[in-house]
Amino acid sequence: MIQIMRKRKVFVIFLWIFLAGIIIALSATYYIFNMPRRNISREKPVYTLNAKQLISEFRKDEAVATARYLDQTIAVKGEIKGIRTLDNHSMVFSLDDEMEGVSCTVDSVDIVKNSAILKQFIKGATGSFKGRCSGMLMDVQVINCVPE
Amino acid sequence: MNKLVFCIVLVMFFFNASAQNRFLTKDAKIKFNSSTPLEDIVAESDQATTFIDIDKNEVAFSVLTTSFKFRRALMEEHFNENYMESSKFPKAKFFGKIIPQIDWKSRKELMANVKGELTMHGVSKEVTFNARITPGNDKITASAVLKITPEMFNITIPSALRDKIAKEVTINIEAIYVPYNQ
Repeated sequence: MIQIMRKRKVFVIFLWIFLAGIIIALSATYYIFNMPRRNISREKPVYTLNAKQLISEFRKDEAVATARYLDQTIAVKGEIKGIRTLDNHSMVFSLDDEMEGVSCTVDSVDIVKNSAILKQFIKGATGSFKGRCSGMLMDVQVINCVPE
Repeated sequence: MNKLVFCIVLVMFFFNASAQNRFLTKDAKIKFNSSTPLEDIVAESDQATTFIDIDKNEVAFSVLTTSFKFRRALMEEHFNENYMESSKFPKAKFFGKIIPQIDWKSRKELMANVKGELTMHGVSKEVTFNARITPGNDKITASAVLKITPEMFNITIPSALRDKIAKEVTINIEAIYVPYNQ
């Protein structure tokens, strides 16, 4: 009798461990599947530099600059030469040169959150952004930007 | 000396002439769809740069692969790290000719073929696709659809995921070009 009860106890313990394992595995899968996006506003910039510096590094050797800055959080500062809104309601601030400068894209969610600072970012003013460098086309592109 | 001046004037003339006939946008939309009944896989970038040279009837595109936005962060990570290997190959590029020669003075929507070389994931392949082009003095509107397969560009998809990703990926391009005088 005691033996049967002991066996049952062991079985119940195993059952609980098994169930806990399944719950952990399921929640881990759910988390990974719906993992949150990088929150740039909470990240510390790896590099802080001005727009001119960043452009000249990319012009000098694109491969080296890409290897250094791609996907890194950077803080970049420069004169705002152009502002435009994309169809997806993101805003692009061109620093140093409208065509071949640094394009900082602020997503629509972050425009709402930072509207007070962004109102001061007019043509001719100095703009400072923190974002993720995505490389160079004509311009050096920095995406998911937040104003600083 | 005279020859040198003549050469400089000639180069400047050609440079100027071609510069006035270039149209550009930095905000072209590239959307791709590789959905299957098992999974919706759609991504879009609003920041492709593209040129049209109406003298040479040429068109060029380039887009940064990390600028594509997906519904889920996990898809974005897989796309950049496993498939496109964006740290090694950060750009996708296209350069080609519009066939036949378009009457750029027309104001009507035209259908044309675009033939050229598409480079991504470090592999260049010749592709041909249809484009809808509406010429104009101060803007050119264009849209195009092309179909590719990941295998064409040496992008390997693990067999466990192969059924979740469409065999053929449809790419939609939309661009509104403005004159570029630089």
